Amino acid sequence: MRDQFPILQREINGHPLVYFDNAATTQKPSSVINAMNHYYANSNANVHRGVHTLAGEATEGYESCRTSLKKRFNADRAIITSGTTEAINLVAHSWGRANLSDGDAIILTEMEHHSDIVPWQMLAEEMNIELRYVPVQNDFTLDMELFEASMKDVKLVCVVHISNVLGVCNPIEQIISIAKKNGAKVLLDAAQSAPHQLINFKQIGADFMAFSAHKMCGPTGIGALLVSNEAFAEMKPFMGGGDMIETVSIHGSTYQTNEQKFEAGTPRIAEAIGWTEALKWLDTIDLEKEHTRLIESARWLATKLREMGMTVYGRHDEDDAAVVSFLHPTMNSEDLAHLLDARGFAVRTGHHCAQPLLDRLEISGTIRASLYFYNTHEEVVSFIDCLTEILERFS
Amino acid sequence: MTYSDKLMELIEEFKGIEDKMERLEMVFELSEEVNLLSPEEWSDSTRIIGCQSEAHIRLNIQDSKVSLESGADSKLVQGLMGIMTIAIHGVEAEQALLLTPDFATEMGILNSLSPSRSNGFRNMFDRVMHEIQEKK
Repeated sequence: MRDQFPILQREINGHPLVYFDNAATTQKPSSVINAMNHYYANSNANVHRGVHTLAGEATEGYESCRTSLKKRFNADRAIITSGTTEAINLVAHSWGRANLSDGDAIILTEMEHHSDIVPWQMLAEEMNIELRYVPVQNDFTLDMELFEASMKDVKLVCVVHISNVLGVCNPIEQIISIAKKNGAKVLLDAAQSAPHQLINFKQIGADFMAFSAHKMCGPTGIGALLVSNEAFAEMKPFMGGGDMIETVSIHGSTYQTNEQKFEAGTPRIAEAIGWTEALKWLDTIDLEKEHTRLIESARWLATKLREMGMTVYGRHDEDDAAVVSFLHPTMNSEDLAHLLDARGFAVRTGHHCAQPLLDRLEISGTIRASLYFYNTHEEVVSFIDCLTEILERFS
Repeated sequence: MTYSDKLMELIEEFKGIEDKMERLEMVFELSEEVNLLSPEEWSDSTRIIGCQSEAHIRLNIQDSKVSLESGADSKLVQGLMGIMTIAIHGVEAEQALLLTPDFATEMGILNSLSPSRSNGFRNMFDRVMHEIQEKK
């Protein structure tokens, strides 16, 4: 598998690259890179209205991404966006403004990424809407009793499927069931889960699901918002311009009735073609087997880190992602990350765009190692060996 | 400007190290070279803005010479402060003002750091120069 990823053959500071920053972005297989190059070299044109051959190829390439997304995640509607952040902002502007009113409440959790907090804070500033946050408990899980008790006047529940800091997988079936029982819609932030598992969007019953291509071996700058038919009918156009209209006159405009209504302007054509290839690549992966392998490596890593005196955040249960956040008791995280980089290891440090969660944990940041399908247990072992060398030498 | 013998020696020493880990190790060791401004003395007025770490300096001019106290929560950052200390502490203010960040480039240390750390170094350098200019 690793041969398919050109970047994994690279050396960093004279050492083989060990890429453990997959929760931030994943590497791309040759098939994705080649498909994007091929598009620009052979089929580059704008999509939809052109009748020439290139426009037809570009349209087919772009729309095949939508078809692949709908098929993979079993969704009726797939709006193509610039990523998870834009997808969530789209819900806030297109659905939130049209369907929320004074006194309504939105439930978020303390575990959310900033992209699932800030758009709602901005909307709450504009409209008289209350934001309620489900607390994270000491075992890194959500307080489900408090969640259920907080449902009065709630019109929307926004929840992260898998935490990008802790790797904890939230009980979305239970969350969606409670929300539905109380008449609330559900937005699932699947940025960290869609790359690792097959999510049946219709079956889980969420109304919106946001995720990004680049965290699943696709290009940067493209993502999607899956929407239920019911919620789609309640969304009003947000960004106006070309491609989203049916007719325009000086007296007014009419809009497309399909997903294009929310895709104003020239879309990300090469990126959509690249993402389609990434989805094809993911089809070749035995997701369950790979998940088991990675979570076992993550558990081993967490245990070793604890034995070395590190504090590890997360529980690494069966359904959790292979994300290991940790802190050394005295050594500065960025110093440690610089030293790891000197030996070719790529990890992330900082607040991971989840400051409310870190406030709850009473820390300002962590070092995060996040694994993906092309990582091996040997790399995890070499990571521990390198950390041991660093601590002997520097701490 | 002409570098002091100690700074010249340091530049040459850094130039001779190819392994990044060794270069970082040397920066770590240079964290001992600061005249330590302890965390109890850190305040908004000593904080270097634009540095990802907690990085603090206190600069005075005594008998027309620069006096630099500094400290950080990162050994790497404090190591960079150690290098600044070697470069300007005890140096005539007018002479210190002739220094440019080129010496750090010559050492190759900025290449060993992330862009945020290198920017942090430049912010610290600018702040030090600004204070010398104001207080001389």
